[in-house]
Amino acid sequence: MNDMNDIKQTGLAKYIENLKSLKSSFANSFLRSGIPTSDKSRTAVVVNNFFLHLHGAKTHINTLRPSYTLGLGLISFFLLVIVFISGGFLMVYYSPSIGTAFNAVKDINFVVFGGKLMRNVHKWSGEAMIIFVLLHMARVVYTSSYKRGREFNWVIGIMLLVLTFVINLTGYMLPWDQLSYWALVIVSNIAAAPKELTDIFGITQYFDIGGATKEILLGGTEPGQDSLTRVYLLHIILLPLGICIALGVHFWRIRKDGGLSKPDTLVGKGSGVASISPPDKTGGIFPTHKTYGLMELARGRTPAVDNDVENTVTSWPHLFIAEVAVFILTLAGVIAYSYFIDAPLKEFANPAIPENPAKAPWYFLGLQELVSYSAFMGGQGLPGLAIAGLLLIPYLDREPEHFGIWFSNKQGKMVALESFVIGSIAVIGALVFVVNFGWFRNWWPNIHQLWIIAINPGNLLLGFVVAYSLYVIKRTGSTRMGAISLFTMFLVSYVILTYTGTVLRGPNWEFFWSSSQWPVH
Amino acid sequence: MEGFSDKRVVRNVARTCLTFLLMILMAALNRTNAYSEDGDSALGKKIYEERCQICHGTNGDGKGLVGIIKKSEKSGRVLDVRPRDFTTGVFRFRSTPTGCLPSELDLMRLVDVGITKSFMPPHKDELSMDEKKAVVAYIKTFSERWKDEEPCDPIAVNKPGWVGSRTSVEKGLKIYKDMKCWECHGDDGKGKGPKSNEIKDDWGNAIPPFNFTTGALKRGTTPEDVYITFTAGLDGTGMPSYEDSLDEENRWHLVSYTLKLMGAVK
Amino acid sequence: MQSRFYLSLLLISSLVLLTFVAIATYSALTPEWKQYQTEYKDFLIKNAKDEATRERAEKIDIGIQQIYLTSMKKADRCTSCHRGVENPLMANAEQPHRQHSGNYLENHPVAKFGCTICHRGQGQAMNLREAHGEEHTHWDFPIMPIKYIQSSCALCHDFEMLKHEGGGHVAKGEEFFRGKGCRGCHKLNGVGGDLGKALDGIGSRARAYFPMKHVVGDRTIYNWVKQHFDDPRQIVPESEMRAFLTGEESDLLTTYVLTFTSEQMPRNYMLIKNIVMPRTDGESLYKMYCIACHSDGKASIYDEILKRTIPAIMNPSFLKAIDDNYLKKILKEGRQGTQMTAWKVDAAGLTEQEIDRIIEYIAKDRPAAKTEPFDVAKFKADVKRGEELFNIRCALCHGKKGEGDLGLNLKNPVVQAADPAFLAVTVRDGRAGTPMPPFGKDGVGLIEQDIADIVSYVKTLSQKKL
Repeated sequence: MNDMNDIKQTGLAKYIENLKSLKSSFANSFLRSGIPTSDKSRTAVVVNNFFLHLHGAKTHINTLRPSYTLGLGLISFFLLVIVFISGGFLMVYYSPSIGTAFNAVKDINFVVFGGKLMRNVHKWSGEAMIIFVLLHMARVVYTSSYKRGREFNWVIGIMLLVLTFVINLTGYMLPWDQLSYWALVIVSNIAAAPKELTDIFGITQYFDIGGATKEILLGGTEPGQDSLTRVYLLHIILLPLGICIALGVHFWRIRKDGGLSKPDTLVGKGSGVASISPPDKTGGIFPTHKTYGLMELARGRTPAVDNDVENTVTSWPHLFIAEVAVFILTLAGVIAYSYFIDAPLKEFANPAIPENPAKAPWYFLGLQELVSYSAFMGGQGLPGLAIAGLLLIPYLDREPEHFGIWFSNKQGKMVALESFVIGSIAVIGALVFVVNFGWFRNWWPNIHQLWIIAINPGNLLLGFVVAYSLYVIKRTGSTRMGAISLFTMFLVSYVILTYTGTVLRGPNWEFFWSSSQWPVH
Repeated sequence: MEGFSDKRVVRNVARTCLTFLLMILMAALNRTNAYSEDGDSALGKKIYEERCQICHGTNGDGKGLVGIIKKSEKSGRVLDVRPRDFTTGVFRFRSTPTGCLPSELDLMRLVDVGITKSFMPPHKDELSMDEKKAVVAYIKTFSERWKDEEPCDPIAVNKPGWVGSRTSVEKGLKIYKDMKCWECHGDDGKGKGPKSNEIKDDWGNAIPPFNFTTGALKRGTTPEDVYITFTAGLDGTGMPSYEDSLDEENRWHLVSYTLKLMGAVK
Repeated sequence: MQSRFYLSLLLISSLVLLTFVAIATYSALTPEWKQYQTEYKDFLIKNAKDEATRERAEKIDIGIQQIYLTSMKKADRCTSCHRGVENPLMANAEQPHRQHSGNYLENHPVAKFGCTICHRGQGQAMNLREAHGEEHTHWDFPIMPIKYIQSSCALCHDFEMLKHEGGGHVAKGEEFFRGKGCRGCHKLNGVGGDLGKALDGIGSRARAYFPMKHVVGDRTIYNWVKQHFDDPRQIVPESEMRAFLTGEESDLLTTYVLTFTSEQMPRNYMLIKNIVMPRTDGESLYKMYCIACHSDGKASIYDEILKRTIPAIMNPSFLKAIDDNYLKKILKEGRQGTQMTAWKVDAAGLTEQEIDRIIEYIAKDRPAAKTEPFDVAKFKADVKRGEELFNIRCALCHGKKGEGDLGLNLKNPVVQAADPAFLAVTVRDGRAGTPMPPFGKDGVGLIEQDIADIVSYVKTLSQKKL
């Protein structure tokens, strides 16, 4: 009996013991090397975790300075995560057929619990991605972070930017309302823009690249069920897959290319640095003056190989706390915005009633403004050239100085400001001219289209931007200044043209100060 | 009342001053009446017979072969357009005060520009000045009034600068209400007031009030034309003269309001 | 140890996130319709007369109500707010709880018909603004005003039945439509004139199809159609449409016009009691296609909108001069240069028999006496003298170059192709009932030679340029 009791007691005691230590035992199983207590175990958490090992075991404190990165890349990534999750939710209810798509979206709005919020979250976080990816790019440019082995990652970044634009656009088509339909019409016409060029050379009937692109996109000559199927396929499989792959490479390259950029000499106890606690050197197992690592095994650059360990902290918890904080911030921002502002949904697509003005989604309205000058140049030529120009930045500016410092130096700040002012004046000037005086077609109605393709406000603007940044290079003797100038002007043009296309253009693409002045149909 | 007697005095003085001219004119009229072989009256008769008689009739009674023309307005209202009956000597479109004969100039202008809304064609390019004078003189033979009466002086028109201004339009609206213009012309100026169906002209035919929203008066659409209409009235129709019941300023305010109804001012 | 900055950021963001998740959850849990249903349930419980009713009321589940119309693939969720629509207890309640008026639901059970078939509005929507399709909700078919509601009856029922069984307005509207000559200008089912727009599907057209700029009040198609009937040029300034309806008539006609929907109702909803054959007698056809312009056809009218005189086609003097063959030619081919439509079967769509019947009706008062013939060949016509005479005698009405104004357009191919003798007779005898006076010895007094000269000149007018 006693034995039995003992066994029973010990059994129960064990059970209770286990219950008591549930927290730590679960944590120990979850984190393969247990709850970290020392820098060694903190390192182990990172190294031993499938997801976390993308990070370095230790993080340079410059990376954690909020004023250095502003968290823009992270925000873009978290927006993508939110988009994926909310997108999965929406896919449950959506059906990609022109007979049911619109009703499905209506039902998501009206009867699905939380459906409207989810749709708003999906829509707004997707569009926010465009803004944050652009801002992230700006951060990278202004801190020279595309240098020292990071050149190719910049290229991947541009690919991600383009993918972000396209995935947003394809999502815009899915509700199959008037906005979707007419945006699809516009976009397919932009796709067909090379026709303008082939028509001029009279080779359209042999080599209709524009028409073929349009037909591939639409699955026919005008938007219909086939177009929706294709757009849906792009939106939920091909483009997300593309983004995931590109993003994977993007992250992997960050690690392999030496982590986030940082200045050669950390600026001491600067404002940003103060928010990071200095590294704890007491509990470490590594001697502070030495580094050990796997770098002997790995070829090429490895994390922190050429940097002092002085200014690093363990990623667990410092980096992860920061990442979680940014994630929650992003989520809170998106949900708050989505609570107040509803994603638009207009009437059911009606091929007989063109929206006037038929507008592409807002992020393409800068392009649509350019398209209004010349379909080919605005729709394909100029954006192609702009992207090519952006791609070339890290290869044409190879100055190693001032790496990881905002605007490089005082001169850089001046150049950025100057380019901002001059770029704004140039773009606004061009717009004012076009709105007031028109262009060649208004002056000489019978002019050959080739003239307009060759000389139109968009081309002139691009020419001006390139010429001005060359002038900056010549004046300052620094390619870095040229890069700052070029990128600033690109950003300014994008913003101003987009604003013009969104707010200042009304029916028949005529100029209005605000949509409240549009003539009532 | 004082103003009225003043006008009388002026008119009498004018009459005395013109005695000489009058005698000549009387002689001329006598001659036309006598169908003398004088070139002018024969010319007047010829032109009248060729161009006017078909509507206005051999005797100038407005009963020509063409007869009444039915006209359907844009608003859907159907009107009977009747040619003028010259035998009573009553004319609508005068520059002279109500009850007076029109001036020579008034008649010449009508022959010149016509009343296109009523199918009276313009003759500016058709007839020479002599021919027009002759035909006007011939028309005057149809009514005895031309022998007995003298045309009065035209109404003076001096348009103040504020006509059409917002305050003036507002004052005009008040007058439009107070003077009961709406009883015929309607609150909205479309000529469908409560009394609009009861109005008869001097010949006993129904005559609908003007629809301001069409924007086109028969006389002409300048503010001055409207002012003259208010001051002189349209003799023979239901439209009275407001020369005595409204002072000049108020008549101009009313002009402002009607310009607004006609869409000429905002 | 850890960054205070990121910890406080984490804390604040978490608080914001929790707040908004809480607010969003609360508003998702308390939608408009739920409040209405609770009100409805409370009302029933409070006013229950006996225990059984109370128990039944307490058992009411609060939830989204939906009527799915299988054959139309339509989901009506209106009863989520209007739950009392079939409940006699709610006869005097406030909206949205009130019972449906009249006895319509007896024959039109909500479960089969839903709501939006008759009332329109957005059946899927779950809030008042969007369900009723108010302005700026991007819904083309807002709730139909009750005064036009009978237009929905005609989707399934014939007018003969509606006339006697509660659809008087729309039946009256249909009568107006037939009697006012609407199809003289508007095509419907491929038959009708082409001065105006075709009316097919007008009742179910998208809002954007209508120029709403001048519409007073809500920019709905109902208001557009009604106000356009009241004063066409108020809504479409360049419109050539006639205005001849009083306020009440335009309501009836609006009700009828809204029945022109593009989609046919499914068979299981249709109930046709009387097969009414379309009337094809001459008088009905005349009223359907001709009366809008020619009215009774007895006197000609100068029309300010069309800017020409509309001939008096039933006037004996006209009929005396024109035989049936000539009439038929005009009806079939129309009159180029005027608003007269070509009515043949491959233009405005009237069949040969229908045109014959119209002519029979028009010509019913043709006098037996023939006109005195005019032998044009007897005279040697002088075109030059004809021109002089024309300028004095005819140009007044027919224009200097015969382009027409009060008088007819003489350059018109039909006139140009006409027999000179016919033109001469017309000039000589005039046309009673129109402003065209007789120019012969009984009227103005021209001699036959003069008339022959004028006719010869008129025949040359087609070469004159404007």
